[in-house]
Amino acid sequence: MQRDPKLVDLDEAMALAVGALRDRPDLCLGGLFKQSRPVALVRAVLAAGAKGLNLYSSPGAGYDVDLMIAADAVDAVFIPGVTLENRLCPNFRAAVESQRITAHALDALSVVGGLMASANGVPFQPIAALKASDVLKHNPLISEFECPITGDTLHAARAVRPRVTFLHAQEADRWGNIRHLSTMVYADQLMARASDLVIVSVDRIVEDDVVLDDPRRVTIPSHYVDAVVHIPYGAHPTASFPLYSMDEEHIDAYADLGDAARKGDGAGLTDYLAQHVTGPADQQAYLDKIGGTKRLQDLEQEAAEL
Amino acid sequence: MSDFSPLEQMTVVMARDLKDRELGAAGAAALVPMAAIALARELHAPNLSIGGEMFFNPYPRRLYPSMLDDRALGRCEGSETFIELFGHSHHGLDFFFHSGLQHDRFGNINLHFVGGTLHEPKMRGPGAANLSYCHTSTRFYICPTVHNDRNFVEKVDFVTIPGHLEGPESKRAAGLMNEGPRFVITPRAVMDFDPDTLEMRLKSVHSGNSVQDVLDHTGFALNVPEGVGQTPPPSEDELGLLRNKIDPTGELRH
Repeated sequence: MQRDPKLVDLDEAMALAVGALRDRPDLCLGGLFKQSRPVALVRAVLAAGAKGLNLYSSPGAGYDVDLMIAADAVDAVFIPGVTLENRLCPNFRAAVESQRITAHALDALSVVGGLMASANGVPFQPIAALKASDVLKHNPLISEFECPITGDTLHAARAVRPRVTFLHAQEADRWGNIRHLSTMVYADQLMARASDLVIVSVDRIVEDDVVLDDPRRVTIPSHYVDAVVHIPYGAHPTASFPLYSMDEEHIDAYADLGDAARKGDGAGLTDYLAQHVTGPADQQAYLDKIGGTKRLQDLEQEAAEL
Repeated sequence: MSDFSPLEQMTVVMARDLKDRELGAAGAAALVPMAAIALARELHAPNLSIGGEMFFNPYPRRLYPSMLDDRALGRCEGSETFIELFGHSHHGLDFFFHSGLQHDRFGNINLHFVGGTLHEPKMRGPGAANLSYCHTSTRFYICPTVHNDRNFVEKVDFVTIPGHLEGPESKRAAGLMNEGPRFVITPRAVMDFDPDTLEMRLKSVHSGNSVQDVLDHTGFALNVPEGVGQTPPPSEDELGLLRNKIDPTGELRH
């Protein structure tokens, strides 16, 4: 018998994801803000017509969540902070203000605690560090309980079990062993352990020996991974450090279109989605669209200079 | 050097209040806090550790708008994940920095919405990732980079980050045992909190602003104690370090 590789092509990965999300539409996204977001996988699931999603993430997200809302794929957002950092997320904001989606008021500990509970196989994670915020009155992921040890009133963060998690990392082998080369690994390891189905895009595939020579460098062992897809620049326009930096200009131009749509002129945003999400036949066509080799070299150069 | 920017003034005010051997960090919007921490480490706090936000002791080549970003870390001594962030959130730090869409008389901060309700907001903001550091940390600083009558209001529409709530009694009742917000540092002035009432009051005004300017740009009747003076401006040492070492690209002067 031969061992089955977990390296699949994008179509196979999307067939897995779409089937699972039809079963339960809870999708979780790795990375943080403008770093290591699985944007190519997000574009693919949007192109496949995903609808009615409940979105989870590490506690900070921006462009990709906003894009999914722009594509009308989202029902509810369970992410504490949704922002482009230098400006607000236009489609997130517009959709909440017009009540097309529900954005829950949450905090990092209830999401991370919920993922920890799921990863650890227990119904909840206790939290003692939340007091006096109005977020606590609205947060659907937590319940108060009396601590059986101290008698204090604590919060229980209920286990969060995403049906599907998308991650992006720099490297993997064909068996699905994942290597983050970035300084931070965000909540990616936790999400991999907390989710039913885990699909990871990577910028490059490495030989088996690269993994075997340095097992401590493996951030997520293949045991936790269902499928790996080789997608060069798969995080664009977010960063995949240390390989390439975030494309701030692209994200800013997108946000301008989103703001125009929010104020009533949606033509530019509709065209953006057609050109970048549903239009490109494959990743290479997308990369040509966003400025091709020249643009990517600039982003690589910025990352190399840090 | 008599010419300096409002953000440089904010930076030195914060840096002077950070102590050697403390542990602290800032959240996502961290341009000025990062500069302040770096300046304190250069001047009087060489053993101050930056940590609690998934990394320890970064050495960036320049300042960036965010702290939670490999660019802003440059090289750093260690990295962690959200699993460890859970522990830091419970243990708390010595100091942290916050700012929001609205700040009120008692130093409460709103990052969720302005007008309407949470699920029917007139204007929806970003929300906030980490709420715990507002009361598990020993103290925090409020440091918005704008100061006007829209972001300084009598009462916030939603308490994302609790400050002093409605004063000492409410704070005790809610179990907030830490100092909470110590200073409010804006491009116009420094505010602190009356120890008896925990209401915000003017402490000093930055060069180029009058007391009246600050009052005109604050959306509630700010208390002005006697003897409010000018904020001590950056020294030549402070400005030299900022411009030559910490902020060579002039992010604080844009």
